[in-house]
Amino acid sequence: MEDKFDRGSALTIFPSDRYEDLMALVISLAIAALIYFLV
Amino acid sequence: MVYTKRTFWPLIIGVIMVGYAYLVQSGNMAPLIKFLNTGRYVGEMVTLGYAFGGVAIAAGLWHLVAAPREGHADYYFSTIAGVMFIMLVAFIVKWGLDPLMANWGRAAQPTLGFNFASVMNLNYVVMGILAGIIVVNVFKVPHWAENGVRLSRLGLKTGVILLGALYSFAELAQLGKLSVVLIGIFVLGSVWLVLVIGVRRNLPNSMTGVLSSGVGVCGVSAAVATAPVVQAKSLEIAYTIGTILLFGVLCMFLFPIVGKSLGMGYVQFGAWAGTGILNSAQVAGAALAFQPGGIETLKVAEIFNITRVLFLPIIVVWLAIWYVRREQAAQREVQHVDAMQVVISKFPIFVLGFILMFLLSSTGIFAPARHYQGSYFDNSEKALMKKDRAGKEINNFLKAEEVATLQKELDKIKRDDQKAALTRLIENKKVMSEDDDAMVRGVINSKALSKEGTAVLSKAHRVVRHTAAKIAKFRDLIAWFFTFGLVGLGMQITMASIRQAGGQPLVIGSIVGVIKAVGSLIVVMLLVAETI
Repeated sequence: MEDKFDRGSALTIFPSDRYEDLMALVISLAIAALIYFLV
Repeated sequence: MVYTKRTFWPLIIGVIMVGYAYLVQSGNMAPLIKFLNTGRYVGEMVTLGYAFGGVAIAAGLWHLVAAPREGHADYYFSTIAGVMFIMLVAFIVKWGLDPLMANWGRAAQPTLGFNFASVMNLNYVVMGILAGIIVVNVFKVPHWAENGVRLSRLGLKTGVILLGALYSFAELAQLGKLSVVLIGIFVLGSVWLVLVIGVRRNLPNSMTGVLSSGVGVCGVSAAVATAPVVQAKSLEIAYTIGTILLFGVLCMFLFPIVGKSLGMGYVQFGAWAGTGILNSAQVAGAALAFQPGGIETLKVAEIFNITRVLFLPIIVVWLAIWYVRREQAAQREVQHVDAMQVVISKFPIFVLGFILMFLLSSTGIFAPARHYQGSYFDNSEKALMKKDRAGKEINNFLKAEEVATLQKELDKIKRDDQKAALTRLIENKKVMSEDDDAMVRGVINSKALSKEGTAVLSKAHRVVRHTAAKIAKFRDLIAWFFTFGLVGLGMQITMASIRQAGGQPLVIGSIVGVIKAVGSLIVVMLLVAETI
């Protein structure tokens, strides 16, 4: 699958694992905020 | 490179999702829902069907109408179609195949003598990953979905971070000590064993180093993190990842079967899976396969898994020193590698995210700070006097006849502390403290009272334990993030990646993996009590 993508890797769309981790953190915090305010 | 492909498939997926949600909402699917016994999913079928269906229709129109040029908009918007493709597979598996297989398992039980769906662990987690593997290897992932499938690992990582919200200090303190000891022994032991065997079998130091980290710590990410420290080549990293994935997939299917046949409890299985399985994703898969209807096992397994990841800095430093010494002994030129720099640059941030979420949860913003698995004690009048949907008041204090039942059976209790707790319960018509609640649960478990007496105690216990609505929402979301991530993970397990696991790395990885799995099973069975 490696050659099919000119950005990211075969396993992720992000440029690095660190970037993917940060995105997961941002999404999680956004979800936590939504749950805190809406539920 | 332009990633948005001209296709009508996302639009069709959207129409299917919205149509299904509408049919469920209008009651037209009631006979099927009754046949499959999926009434508990009706709410999410409607909500998720409309939500994801709407997004898929919008994405479908984008794929048909837009003429995207190379850039960020094309790159990121084109992932939506893949996400919708994974979600469609997840919906079919969770709301269709999983209950259907459960029905078939029950129906075939009289003939076969056992429930094959239960014995083979054919639940939505296992079938989701299998569906992903079948899709990629038999049909191939559609070209318009390929970019989005690469978001599955993001789903798994987000699930792990959110999982932090379900833990409390008390829980982690109890499991933490045990996990540090168990994981310490098995992580350091496996790394050491791979190094010894690798040297004996004359494997290159870089190959041995990266394999030891992958087998010992947390699979793929550990292998990638230590690769620069031992100057591993891409082929060696690929071999290690192939070995870990192949062994991990085997473990993911075998562990739940072994766990169930040994009658392991949630805590025992979680501890075993978190210690014995090599890769984080497969730990989650095995834990959910063992207990598809709840996440107690997953929580325990993830604590062990996270503890294992926390050992990564130690392993990186150890391997850096080991590698430099071995290469210097062989008088080869070694490039200077700053081990601390590697630790700082490679340490997975999502582990810190998990800890951050745990700290947030421990402040009590999602549930009372003393909550245990989202459940907390509250015996206030407000908590015991509730209103039903019609507005009618429900009094959850013990009724006179229930008090009389307990009074009649009080002498059957031999322990003074349990007797005192029950006396307070009788006097106040409610459980008076968390300690008293623990005593009441003890009496229930001991089955010292009659059926009626035990039923009264169960009710008294139930009405003072409450589940935090916010934590319940976290649970639902976490289950979906993991389902999404695991179906997508299955779509990345190609035959080519499995074939990469050939040769020496597979032999050494398997030997150490089996020793770790069996050794941790024995230790867990001997040391881990179900009631931690």
